[in-house]
Amino acid sequence: MDRRTIVGQRIDNVDAWDKVTGKAVYGIDLKLPGMLHGKILRSPLPHARILKIDPSRARNLPGVRALITAEDTPKIKYGAQIADEYPLAVEKVRYIGDEIAAVAAEDEETATRALELIHVDYEELPAVFSPEEALGPGAPEVHEGTGNVASQIDFERGDVSQGFREAHCILEEEFVTSNVHQAYLEPHVCIAQADGCGRITLWGSLQAPSRNRETIARILNLPPDKIRIIQTVVGGGFGGKATQVLALYPLCALLALKSGRPVRILNTWPEEFAASRSRMPSKIRLKLGLKKDGTFTAKDLAIIANAGAYAGTGPAVMTTTAMRATSLYRFPHVKCHARLVYTNTTPIGSYRGYGNPQLHFALESAIDMAAERLGLDPLDIRLRNAIRVGDTSIHGWVMNSCQLQACLERAAQRSRWKEKRGQRRKEGIGIGMASMIHVSGNRAVYPHFDGSSAFVRINPTGSVDIISGEAEIGQGSNTAFAQIVAEVLGLPMEEIRVQPLDTDHSPFALGTFASRVLTIGGKAVYLAAQDAKEKLLSFVAQKMEIRREDLECQGGMIRMRNSSKPGLSFQEAARLASMASAGAPILGQGIFRVPGHVVMPDASKYGNLSIAYSFGVQVAEVKVDRKTGRVDVLEVYSVHDSGTIINPKLGEGQVEGGVAQGMGFALMEEIVRQQGKVLNDNFTDYRLPTIQDVPKIHSLFIEVPDPFGPFGAKGLGEITQVPTAPAIANAIEDAVGIRLKELPMTAEKLLKALKEREMKERSLPCAGSSFEA
Amino acid sequence: MKKIRLKVNGFAYEPVVPFHLTLLDFLRDTLGLTGTKKSCNLGSCGACTVLLDGQAVNSCLILAVEADGKSVETIEGLMRNGQPHPLQKAFVQHGAVQCGFCTPGMILSAKALLHRTPHPTEDQIRDALAGNLCRCTGYAKILEAVKAVAGGKENG
Repeated sequence: MDRRTIVGQRIDNVDAWDKVTGKAVYGIDLKLPGMLHGKILRSPLPHARILKIDPSRARNLPGVRALITAEDTPKIKYGAQIADEYPLAVEKVRYIGDEIAAVAAEDEETATRALELIHVDYEELPAVFSPEEALGPGAPEVHEGTGNVASQIDFERGDVSQGFREAHCILEEEFVTSNVHQAYLEPHVCIAQADGCGRITLWGSLQAPSRNRETIARILNLPPDKIRIIQTVVGGGFGGKATQVLALYPLCALLALKSGRPVRILNTWPEEFAASRSRMPSKIRLKLGLKKDGTFTAKDLAIIANAGAYAGTGPAVMTTTAMRATSLYRFPHVKCHARLVYTNTTPIGSYRGYGNPQLHFALESAIDMAAERLGLDPLDIRLRNAIRVGDTSIHGWVMNSCQLQACLERAAQRSRWKEKRGQRRKEGIGIGMASMIHVSGNRAVYPHFDGSSAFVRINPTGSVDIISGEAEIGQGSNTAFAQIVAEVLGLPMEEIRVQPLDTDHSPFALGTFASRVLTIGGKAVYLAAQDAKEKLLSFVAQKMEIRREDLECQGGMIRMRNSSKPGLSFQEAARLASMASAGAPILGQGIFRVPGHVVMPDASKYGNLSIAYSFGVQVAEVKVDRKTGRVDVLEVYSVHDSGTIINPKLGEGQVEGGVAQGMGFALMEEIVRQQGKVLNDNFTDYRLPTIQDVPKIHSLFIEVPDPFGPFGAKGLGEITQVPTAPAIANAIEDAVGIRLKELPMTAEKLLKALKEREMKERSLPCAGSSFEA
Repeated sequence: MKKIRLKVNGFAYEPVVPFHLTLLDFLRDTLGLTGTKKSCNLGSCGACTVLLDGQAVNSCLILAVEADGKSVETIEGLMRNGQPHPLQKAFVQHGAVQCGFCTPGMILSAKALLHRTPHPTEDQIRDALAGNLCRCTGYAKILEAVKAVAGGKENG
C-alpha cells in the first residue's frame, strides 16, 4: 500500500484532451449518411382521452419518411418499477408532454411541420396537479384503480410511542422540497440505425447502456440481442440519463426500422423540461424526539411525494427519501408512512442523490431547530448521535467503515465553528452545518445481482485495455479505472486505455447510479488487472524457470523481488506471452459479486443494501442582505469519508460540482408549473448557478480505507450535493434568525419572512394584535 | 440565400448560406466543426461561444450572414503547429474538465478575456465567464485554470 505511485495521485483526466480540443464526439455531434430527423408529437393537454389520431396529412407531406403512433408499437406497458406507461400514448394522455406520435423526415423543418399536420381529437378530462388534490375525495384518477397512489411505504422499527415518551423535547415540522432539473448541458439525443436483418444499433449519451438495452428491448418486444447500444461521450447525466429510459430511444429505433434509414431524435430544452425526469418534489412531516442531552429517542416521518403521471424510478427514489438519512445516526425507534402520488404533471426520476437530498433537508434542518430549543450546539447533537464504525443502523445497514464523527470534528475545526457560530448576526452573516450519508451501490435496484465484471487485456504491444460496461459520464471513472490498472500492473498511465462502451463488446453492467461505479465497477477492474498480472507473471516464471512468487511488476518491468537485476520489460513479456499463444492477448477477467453481508432488503425494507456507506459534513457560511432577502454563500467546507481517494483532483471536482448543484437546489432552482404547464422551460427563466454564485469550496478528505472498495475507495459522486441545502438553511437561521422550511430559499421567501417578523415585532407592544406571538 | 466571405480558424470560405442559418449551425452542420456545442439555442448557456473578430459571442444568436467579412475562431483552431493553447493545457492540468460539454465555450470566453486583459483579477475572470454555464465542476477548477494562465509566463 505504501508503495502506491498512481492511486492517490492528482492524475489528469484521461478524456480531457479530447474535450479541450473539441474532438470528443457527443451524441449531438454524431451524423450518419442518409440520417433523418425525428420529432415527437407531445400532448398539449394535461389529461385527455384520445378519440382519434389522423396522421394522413402529415404522412403525405413531402419529405416525411416514417410516422408512428401507438398502433405501430407493441403496446407493452413498462416502467422502471411499475409497468404503467407506453412509449406512445394508448387511449389517454396524462401530462403536457406525453408522447403521442413520432415522425422522421429529411430535415428538421419538415419533421416539425409534419407534427403540426397530425390531427388529434381529444376529450379533455379533469386533471390533478398536486398530490393533495390527487388524494382528495372524488379526485379524478391518473391511472384507473390506483386512487392515485403509485406506491406506499410503511414501517415501524422499535416503538416510536415509547421513544416519544422518553423524549424531553419533541419537534414536529413540515418541510417542502422542490422539483429541480439535472440540467446536464447536452439534452437527450439518440441516433438509431437498423441493419439488413433488422438489428438495431443505437447511439446515445446514456448512463446505463446494458440496462437501457434491456428496457428498450422490452418496450419493442425484441430480444435484447437485436439491439446494440454504443455510448457516445456524455454531456452530463447526474441521474437523468440512467435506468429510466425516455420514450425517445425506443421511438428512434422504431422510426429507423420503419424508414430503413438512420434517424436522430434530439430533445429541445422545452421538451427536456416538459418531458424528461427530474427530481421528485416532496412534502415531509418530521417528528423528532430528543432527550435533554440531545440523544435521539424517536423519529416519525410522513411523506407525500409527487410522482407525476408515471411512476418511473419514483418508488425507489421515495424509498431513499424515506430511509437513507436515518442511518446517519443511532435512532432507537423510527416510523415512516410515505406515499408516492400520481398527478397530471411531468413524471419525476432520479437526480444525483436519488431521494436523499430531500430527507437530509428535513432532518438536518430539524436537528438545528431542536438544538436551539434545547440550548445545545447542533454540532454536539450530531456528534452524540453519529453512527460509528461497527454499528448496524436501525435499517440493518452495516458500517464496515465510518468516519462521521471525525468529519464533524474536522469540519468544525477547519471552519472555526465554535468561534463563528451565533456571533455575526449584526452583519447578517451566519454559519450552518449538515451531515450526510450515501450508499456505494444499492442491492435493491436490480433483482438478479449487485456486482460488476471487467476485462483487462494486455496486448502483444504491451499496451493495456480496460473493458467495462460501467459508464463514464464525465465524473472521471475512466481515469480512476486506468489508475487502478496502472497501479496493479506497475505501468505508466499512457499505456492504459479504457475502451468505449458498446454492448456488443463490453460486459453487461448495471451502470452509473447509486455512486457504485468506482467502488463496485472499480473493484471488478482491479480484480481483472490482478488476473491479467497473474497470467503474465506465471508465463514469465515458467519461461525463466523461477517461482512466480518471486516476480513483481513495477516501473514497466517484471523483475525478481529483492534483486537488483534489471529483469524483463513488461512490453517484452507481453510480446513473448502473446507469441507463445498464437498472438492471443492476455485476458484478465475480474468478477466482483458484492459480499454476503450485502442483502436484498426484506418486505419492510430492512437489510444491508450497500457494500459501503460514505459520510461527510458540509459547513456553509452565508451573508444575508436584509433589504432584499438575497443570500450569498461565502464559503463552503465539505469534509468527506469516501475511503481512499483514488484521485484527489477528480475527487475535489466531484465535491465542487456537487456543492454548486446543491446551492442551486437550496437557493434558486425550481421548475414552475401552472395547470401542468412548465413556465420556465429554458435557462433564462430556470436559473442555474453561474461562476458568479459559487464561492470558495474547501474539499477535505478523511482517508480511512474501506475493507471492500478498490484500494479502500467508497462512493463520492452523489453525496456531495446531499447536505448543501440544509447547511445553507441552518446558516441563514444563524445569520438572521429565520427558519426557512421550503425550497428553494429564494430572496422573495426570505424577504417575506423578514418583513413578517418585523411587523410582528412592531405589533408586539399593542395588545390584541392580529399576529400570533 | 446569400454568398458570404469569412475566415474560420484562418481558412477562407465563400459559402452561399440561407439567411436564417445561425453561425452555430453553419459551423456545426456545414463545416462539420462540432467542437462548438449546441445546447439551449437561446444565448443562455454559452456552450456555443466562439470568437468573432476576437470577441466572444454566442454563435446561436448570430446569423451566418452577419459573419460576412469577419474572422471566426472555434475550439478546433486553438492548436498551433500541434501545440495546444496554454488555456487548453491549463484546463487539463487543473481538472477543469468533467463532462466537457461547456469546455470549448468556456475556453474561448477565457481566451477573449486574456486577449483584452492579460492579467485579470478574479472578479474580471468571473465577469467574463458569467455567461458560460457549467453543471459539473462548480467552476472552481475552471477559475484556477484561467488564473494559472493569466498569472503564468505562457500568456501573451
